[in-house]
Amino acid sequence: MHSEERLSASTPEGGHIEVSYAGAQGPMFALMLKTGLLTLVTLGLYRFWQKTRVRRYIWSSVNAGGDTFEYTGTGLEKFLGFLVAIVFLAVYLGVVQMILFYLGLNIMVDTDTADEGDLIGMVAASVISGLAVLPFLLFAIYRARRYKMARTRFRGIRLGMEKGAWGYVIRAMGYGLLAIVSLGLLTPLMTFRLEQYMTARSYYGSTRMRQDGRWSDLYAAMKHVFIALGILLASGFLIYTGSESDTIPKIVLGVIAMLVGYVWIFVGAIYYAVQSFGYLMSHKVLGNEIRFAAEPRTGTVIKTYILGGLLLALLSSVVFGIAFALAMPFLAGIESLFADGEATMTETQIMTRMIGAGVVVGIGYLVGLVVMQALTMILITQPVLAHYIGTIRILNPDALDRVHQRAAEAGIDADGFADALDIGGAI
Amino acid sequence: MLTQAHAAHFFDGRTSARHPVTVRLSEDRIALVIEGKSLTAPLTWLLSDLRALTDTADDQRLTVTRHAQSDDESPHDVARLVILDPELIAWMHRTRPNLFRAETHPGAIRRLLIYAGGAAAACLLLLFVILPALANSLARLIPIEREIAFGKTVVRQMERQLNWLDAREGFHCTDPAGLTALDTLLQRLTGGRDMQYDISLQVFDSGMVNAFAAPGGQVVILRGLLDQAETPEEVAGVLAHELGHVESRDATRLTLRAAGSAGLLTMLIGDVTGGTAVAVLGERLLSASYTREAETAADNFALEMLANARVDVAGFGDFFDALAELEPFSLPEYLATHPATEGRAAGAHAFAAAQDETAPILTKTAWQALKAICD
Repeated sequence: MHSEERLSASTPEGGHIEVSYAGAQGPMFALMLKTGLLTLVTLGLYRFWQKTRVRRYIWSSVNAGGDTFEYTGTGLEKFLGFLVAIVFLAVYLGVVQMILFYLGLNIMVDTDTADEGDLIGMVAASVISGLAVLPFLLFAIYRARRYKMARTRFRGIRLGMEKGAWGYVIRAMGYGLLAIVSLGLLTPLMTFRLEQYMTARSYYGSTRMRQDGRWSDLYAAMKHVFIALGILLASGFLIYTGSESDTIPKIVLGVIAMLVGYVWIFVGAIYYAVQSFGYLMSHKVLGNEIRFAAEPRTGTVIKTYILGGLLLALLSSVVFGIAFALAMPFLAGIESLFADGEATMTETQIMTRMIGAGVVVGIGYLVGLVVMQALTMILITQPVLAHYIGTIRILNPDALDRVHQRAAEAGIDADGFADALDIGGAI
Repeated sequence: MLTQAHAAHFFDGRTSARHPVTVRLSEDRIALVIEGKSLTAPLTWLLSDLRALTDTADDQRLTVTRHAQSDDESPHDVARLVILDPELIAWMHRTRPNLFRAETHPGAIRRLLIYAGGAAAACLLLLFVILPALANSLARLIPIEREIAFGKTVVRQMERQLNWLDAREGFHCTDPAGLTALDTLLQRLTGGRDMQYDISLQVFDSGMVNAFAAPGGQVVILRGLLDQAETPEEVAGVLAHELGHVESRDATRLTLRAAGSAGLLTMLIGDVTGGTAVAVLGERLLSASYTREAETAADNFALEMLANARVDVAGFGDFFDALAELEPFSLPEYLATHPATEGRAAGAHAFAAAQDETAPILTKTAWQALKAICD
């Protein structure tokens, strides 16, 4: 029987179960397009429901040992969370930004007569006012993850995350500062400790998660970044010594090396993102007995980005080309006005046609953006996600049967802050 | 017709254990009976309460729950029945029209409306009451020398923008006779008055018909305005208007207010596709309503100042008449930062009609020198 096959396929073998992603391009594109157009005609209001429905689709595509995940968030609570967040942020952005600007004015000096100290103060003030929103961005990152966890279920059991957004903000700023002053050398420390902070507050049911491993192990994932930096340094050295001694080949070599180093550093950054995810996932422990393994491949991710990106660029010219082509009938005959100056149309006719063309182009542009969002989802976001998820294995899955339910978490702000601050990416 | 028992999975919502169960229709045909060895007792789920998860990726799998009041985000039972049997799935789709119904807790819409109303009220209060009031108090608190430093930066920026358009040497107009005439104009207007700021008055060599007052008493007249003006009284009128802005610290107030509300507006609508355009329009609407007030106040200040200095106010009116002809089309008043030009001209002319004896503000030679200040 059909259902029996599916059951037996899910039986764990050799003490682990595979996680897979079953989402397909067609249904996802249709869902993104439909909800995107609804968002457009509701002037953005539907986006909370759009996000909800897309998440439901993605969550339900994740299959671990024959059971799929469930996303239980609602559009309504996201809208409410957004309303709460904007009032907070409105007060904060309005009042605090104005006061910061005022303080900035107070140390503003006449650049003609100022001494260096004053100038430094002025620059520092402008940087601080630019950073005023950063704590809220970090706050929103934690709250958004907490909300997603609280609205995820597996085998009928809720996932969850403890409160702790402000603790995250402080740590993220501290480790971020360390990473900056160390010129990026301490980035692994930041990545590891922040993930550890969040993992230690995460639960499946009433069973707590833990992040094992060592932060210094992440340096292995940094290796391509270091190689790229080495190439860039060498290229700088070559160009410098080459121009000192007027040896053209040296300079040419240096420029080529610089281009290689430039590309390499991008690849290195992706390599770090992919490999650090793999390391951190492989060192998570659930309730002291369930472990995970993940081996995402950087090559696959980069290939998806490049091919998807090229395809997107191609399709975007088609999509927006159609939008403009649709406006052409309105403009037919108008060019003759400029050619011989003999008006064949009245002024109102011209106006009507211009407005018509403007409306068609405007609507075409907005619909085009919706189509592009849907294409980005199926060509880049979803394939990358599918790859990440598809490489995860759950070790000692028998213990998964003994997890107990946790209490429902009502009244959290959904991801209102993330939405208001426009972070959180595609999903 | 659901005749036999069908296999399914059941999750009770208490532990993560997967219960293999069978599902069949109850004798009275109004409920599903869920039975399994690992369940303590058979469960009976009313058919009318059955709900299924929507927007799922796998149409070979139907996850069913029950409508029930709960503390959860949706009014659903925590238990889940996962059906993989195609026959049973088809039966569910065929016979249960309410299966995919979207449901909210009772009172959810009321709550939404209250929140939305509250949020809108809070934002409006902030944009139209709190931020302007705060801007006004802060503008009063700021030390004058800081304001002057800020004003100089603004003028320098303005200069860079205008100069970029015109790109020419000698952007500052410094003809000595012209400067003297300009000073005469300024002294006549401010003589005997207690001014808060030392006015720094400059002319820039730009064709635009405009003048502006930056914070801290920095007033700039553009050459195009001198070209356009037919009498020195017209220039005096515009200058008096800009002095009005200086005295009420409008530039500082408006900059402070913009610093507060710009980020807020972008956040409110910026997330939507194409929202940037809406945000720009919103900011424009908002600043227009503030500025129009300030402009009217500056107009009144100018009229009073001109009257005190016994300068013919008709010049002020003439200037707006000329300006109205220049405008290719006029923006609706709620969008424009200045009051409608025709209205301002009429106001000035009415004031002029009631004016006492006046004296010319500049001699013919001085007026010629002023017009040639950029040559």
